[in-house]
Amino acid sequence: MSETKYLETHEWYIVDGENFTVGISDYAQSELGDIVFVTLPEVGQEFSKGDAIVEVEATKTVAEAYAPMNCVITEVNSNLETEPELINNDPVGDGWMVKAEIKEMDDSGMSYQQYESFIS
Amino acid sequence: MSEAKTTSLYEYHLSKNAKVIDFAGWSMPFSYDGTLKEHQYVRESAGYFDVSHMGRLRLSYSQIEEINYLICSDLKNISNTKALYSIFTSEEGTAIDDVIFWKFNDDLILICNASNTNKIKTHLDINSIKYEDLTLTTDLIAVQGKDAIDIVSNIMTVPEKFSTFKEGKFVYARTGYTGEDGVEVMLDISDTLSFINELESKGVKPCGLGSRDTLRLEASLPLYGFELTDEISPIEAGLKWTVTNKDDYLGKDVIDNQIDSKEHKHLKRFKLNAKQIARTGTKCISDGVEGNVTSGNISPILGYPIGFVLFKSNPSDDLVEFDIRGNLVEGNLLYKRFLK
Repeated sequence: MSETKYLETHEWYIVDGENFTVGISDYAQSELGDIVFVTLPEVGQEFSKGDAIVEVEATKTVAEAYAPMNCVITEVNSNLETEPELINNDPVGDGWMVKAEIKEMDDSGMSYQQYESFIS
Repeated sequence: MSEAKTTSLYEYHLSKNAKVIDFAGWSMPFSYDGTLKEHQYVRESAGYFDVSHMGRLRLSYSQIEEINYLICSDLKNISNTKALYSIFTSEEGTAIDDVIFWKFNDDLILICNASNTNKIKTHLDINSIKYEDLTLTTDLIAVQGKDAIDIVSNIMTVPEKFSTFKEGKFVYARTGYTGEDGVEVMLDISDTLSFINELESKGVKPCGLGSRDTLRLEASLPLYGFELTDEISPIEAGLKWTVTNKDDYLGKDVIDNQIDSKEHKHLKRFKLNAKQIARTGTKCISDGVEGNVTSGNISPILGYPIGFVLFKSNPSDDLVEFDIRGNLVEGNLLYKRFLK
């Protein structure tokens, strides 16, 4: 597995061969406050880089997570349906959102250090 | 823009890792442990809120006739130990602000929304009503929750519901904005920290404006700027119960007409059968009547999205279709409060 990368829209992703996993950053969950509902895509749905793939409703506001590259969804974290707070408690771990097969590799995200200076 | 005002507890809030937001020109705590946790503290035990940003004006009792003319409720004839929720109405019958009066034998304390303090002061000035502004020399702490009364009874004499009291350094009333029992306490800024420490030592948790909003929404209470504005009358906001003023008052004709004709805007409660929240500004339609969501959020206790919607007229059907970012989501109007 390669290193965890971050997008300016506050998603993290990690590439593992032909696939990647995506979620939102600790900073993003902290800004959103308590996450109460998550709307996940269907397995098999195709997305282009920048498309909204997940909708997150929090007590403070609503936000979307965007596809880091062109992809097809292969797995969704269905635990989030009943435990959306997993995103608050462990955003880059148990709070992962979807796994997808890469259609066009784009590993241009920021390193953690770059992202940290981006948000500070 | 001038720098945001802070309450005497500001440094204390920061020391408790509060997330701070700007609200009506004040830097106020939004949350400490998280909005949902703080919501639960109040519903299951007790929490306290620093609401010192709200305006506090002391008025002499001798002006009660003049004040009574500016509000839709009967402040004059209730006993001198009562706390009264009321609305300052305009000549057009719309809400200038919703406020609480604490009535005592010698004076009245008027508590108004932070966003409206200047507006209320100007309104009083225009009507030649004198006041002493206590907003910056005092603090206001709301202690709210299932166990709030049990806990504060160890600190102060607890009056009957909706009643006021003065005792030592405390001026207070048994009122609140969360749907739970509790007291709202005004005290000199030099006394606040020791009061807060005493509350915390008895297990009362600090809560921010985030949970104050989810609690008041779940308790079916309006928020000025959302459910109530200077374009909406108390009748339109579903607050007919506040219209108890038997004498003449500003806007009375319009309000009486609305009561008789029922031809006015209608504020309704709704729930959604979806995992989306219809937030402020969301458009909807029911029975051909267009509406606009004034507030919406999850009800942490009920587990589904709820809110208030303002319709142009009274829809005869309870089914509503909301346009949430291009998706049509069905909901239902509710004719009872969200929580019993």
